[in-house]
Amino acid sequence: MGQLIVGQLLNGAIVGTLYGIAALGVTLTFGITGIVNFALGVFMMLGAYAAWYFADTVGLPYPLAVLTAVVVTSFAGLVADQALFRFTRNNLVNGLLVSIGMIAVMESSALLIWTSTPKEMHHVLPGVFAFFGLVVPKMKLVVFGLLLAVIFATYAALTKTWTGRAAYAYAQNPEAAALMGVPTSRLQTGVVVYSTGLAGLAGALYASLYSLEPTLGSLFILKAVEAAILAGIGSVAGALLGGIILGVTEGVGSIYLPLAFRDAYGLVFLIVILLFKPSGLFAGRR
Amino acid sequence: MLLEIAGLTKHFGGLTAVADISFGIDKGEIVGLFGPNGSGKTTLLNLIAGLIPASAGRIVWKGKNIAGWQAHEIAAAGLVKTFQNPQLFAELTAIEHLMIAGHLALKRRLGWRRIATLIDPEYRNNSRALLERAEEVLRLCRLASARGHSAAELSYGEEKMLGVAMGLMCEPELLLLDEPASGLGTGEIDNLETVLRDLKGHGTTLCVIDHKVGFLRKLADRAISLHHGAKIAEGTPDQVLRDPNVIMAYLGRAHAAI
Amino acid sequence: MKHAIWIAVVATALCVLPLAFNSDVVLTILVFSYLQGMLAVSFNLIFGFTGQLSMFHAAAFGIAAYATHLFMQHLGVAYWSAMVLAAALVAAVSVVVGAICFRFRLREFYFAVVTLAFSEMARLAVLNWNSLTNGSLGINLQEKPPFWLPGTGIVRLESTLAWYYLSLVALGVTLLFCWRMVHSWMGRCFAAIRMNDELGDTLGINVFRYKLTAFVAGNMMAAVAGSLYAYFLGSLEPGFLSIDQSLGIVAMVLLGGRSVVAAPVVGAFVLTTLPHLIHFSAEIRSIVYGAILIFTILVMPQGIFGSLWQIMRRRHAA
Repeated sequence: MGQLIVGQLLNGAIVGTLYGIAALGVTLTFGITGIVNFALGVFMMLGAYAAWYFADTVGLPYPLAVLTAVVVTSFAGLVADQALFRFTRNNLVNGLLVSIGMIAVMESSALLIWTSTPKEMHHVLPGVFAFFGLVVPKMKLVVFGLLLAVIFATYAALTKTWTGRAAYAYAQNPEAAALMGVPTSRLQTGVVVYSTGLAGLAGALYASLYSLEPTLGSLFILKAVEAAILAGIGSVAGALLGGIILGVTEGVGSIYLPLAFRDAYGLVFLIVILLFKPSGLFAGRR
Repeated sequence: MLLEIAGLTKHFGGLTAVADISFGIDKGEIVGLFGPNGSGKTTLLNLIAGLIPASAGRIVWKGKNIAGWQAHEIAAAGLVKTFQNPQLFAELTAIEHLMIAGHLALKRRLGWRRIATLIDPEYRNNSRALLERAEEVLRLCRLASARGHSAAELSYGEEKMLGVAMGLMCEPELLLLDEPASGLGTGEIDNLETVLRDLKGHGTTLCVIDHKVGFLRKLADRAISLHHGAKIAEGTPDQVLRDPNVIMAYLGRAHAAI
Repeated sequence: MKHAIWIAVVATALCVLPLAFNSDVVLTILVFSYLQGMLAVSFNLIFGFTGQLSMFHAAAFGIAAYATHLFMQHLGVAYWSAMVLAAALVAAVSVVVGAICFRFRLREFYFAVVTLAFSEMARLAVLNWNSLTNGSLGINLQEKPPFWLPGTGIVRLESTLAWYYLSLVALGVTLLFCWRMVHSWMGRCFAAIRMNDELGDTLGINVFRYKLTAFVAGNMMAAVAGSLYAYFLGSLEPGFLSIDQSLGIVAMVLLGGRSVVAAPVVGAFVLTTLPHLIHFSAEIRSIVYGAILIFTILVMPQGIFGSLWQIMRRRHAA
């Protein structure tokens, strides 16, 4: 039993980093553009299908396929930002409605193109890693490591580079930052492109582990938003922690409660946090 | 004693905005609250009106402790506050603002029976009576010319008077005015003074906070001076203005407004 | 009142419409339009007039639909009683959900997210409680509601014509109820809450109570629509409570217009008939809903009715 729990803990942590990187995108977008971008889920889905397409159909080596997928989703993010999200800055309700509209359009398009039949990507890194009686697929560990690296790199970029600190300053006080020469609209577009790129990366890596369906984005984005809100929407370090907490709770919870409840944990967290501490658990810390 | 404050305190984390303040307001008088920026005047009014919860102390209104009551309950009890930065309904005209503000009056006239207006809108002539009263309040506040103007078309002075007018529609026994004269030109201030004196004549008790020492000095019967959240002087306006503590508070902050 | 003439004209036209278009297909589409119209109008009471973006509307719709059937099956009551019980159940649930949300003073966006969460929980419950709801397979409803006619006695409402009049009357009652509410002191309270609820609070309006009233009333009307819809359609499925359904309702209201009580009906009509005029698959329908949502938010926030209304008003003033 103990081993089962540890196994689920580990699994949950890995899934949690996927939530975490999407949550990071959510948090960055909120801090800089003032909306919660639910559409990041479909960008993740786009990244996943793109990676699958480039790896299996076009035949690119997996890492290149991932890179291409990220480029594709970032570009799509740019287009979406210029066409749609640009008009919803700081308007949470409009942002929500436009995101929902986008989700409907893109998910249904994906359904038309790829149908709801799940797609499986070929095994990129077959084999498992065994330690202390636990068995973890190698690919999962690679994904885990890669996601952690990207999240920490983002954190470093935010705190060390000029662009990052400008973004930080802008999130704290938009007017002052603008007055000090921070190019606001470019910054906002940049953040949207970056977070869609992150979502695309998450999706592309997801493709190597799980089967693909057009609705995978919706399932994920709700969890990502839950994780971001849990951590404190605006807390970059918290996004990862929030994701892991959620992932682990789901994983361990599914041992004791029927699978149907798994999706409910996040919902309950979400409701409770929003009621009692809308600023999240780690609010105040960046 | 209409309103009695005892030991009222408010902490915001480490900052004490209001420190152990006690005073009373009698029916029919105009009490002026002086104090430089940051002395806790607005916080004090917000505490009394129920917009923020107190950390400690009692607020006794007509014999009942209203600390902890909700804002709308306090308004219903006859204690109404206006906003320093005019709060308006963006889509409505001036007269429509007053129609909404007439909710309390309607509630008092009809009670639970107002549900009947869903079936018969003219139940006991309520909407006509409401409109008449709204027009009257508009005239009282010298806003009759702005009757059909939407919120966006009003001048700043008109916006502030509309705030007072809305407060009046609630049939207050005590009206708390948060810097009603700030941002107004001389003509508008005179207008405001006339309206407020009219109100006092009609039996409404007023508590006014403002920066403009001259304005309060002319208007108020009694004055209370605040500094860093504490009461430092109380008496007639002239007494307070000559109080050494008050002078130090103002001279110490060289940019006090006249 | 010039409006009264217009209303009388439209109402009469709709009543005699079946004489002109005796096609079953046309009448069926209209029944769906009227029922969706009920959903849209009741949602607009909460969203357009009181300013609360509730994502719980589809849940109210779906819960009532399932509850009607379950009450009939397990308590042995007749259809209409079951509908009343279902509406009461939805009212109770709405009071709980609404009280929780409004007690904590959730601002628009967070309110939307929390109601979405509650709605999802309801959907998951329906989806997984197989013993009660048959899960994702749904339930087939064979029975049709009974109706008492003078002379003939008890008749089963099976013909499309009967449903046409039933749904038209239901929509009419919904419109009347909402119209009365909006044009009363209560409607003024809703408007105050929508525009500046803090100001309303200081003016003596019990913001919590009126938000809750709008929320519960709107959901109850959605409940009645759900009951009728399920029994007209002849089946129940967890999709009734899906986000897609909520999305459709929001799209209808945004398309039709928020500022007039009857405006959402226009949106409901357009979005319900469109897939029948042009044969859409479910995916294309979703794409259209999504596109409409985006389009109306960015380009035409007044909706069709609202924009027409503005044009007419400007012509009047000129």
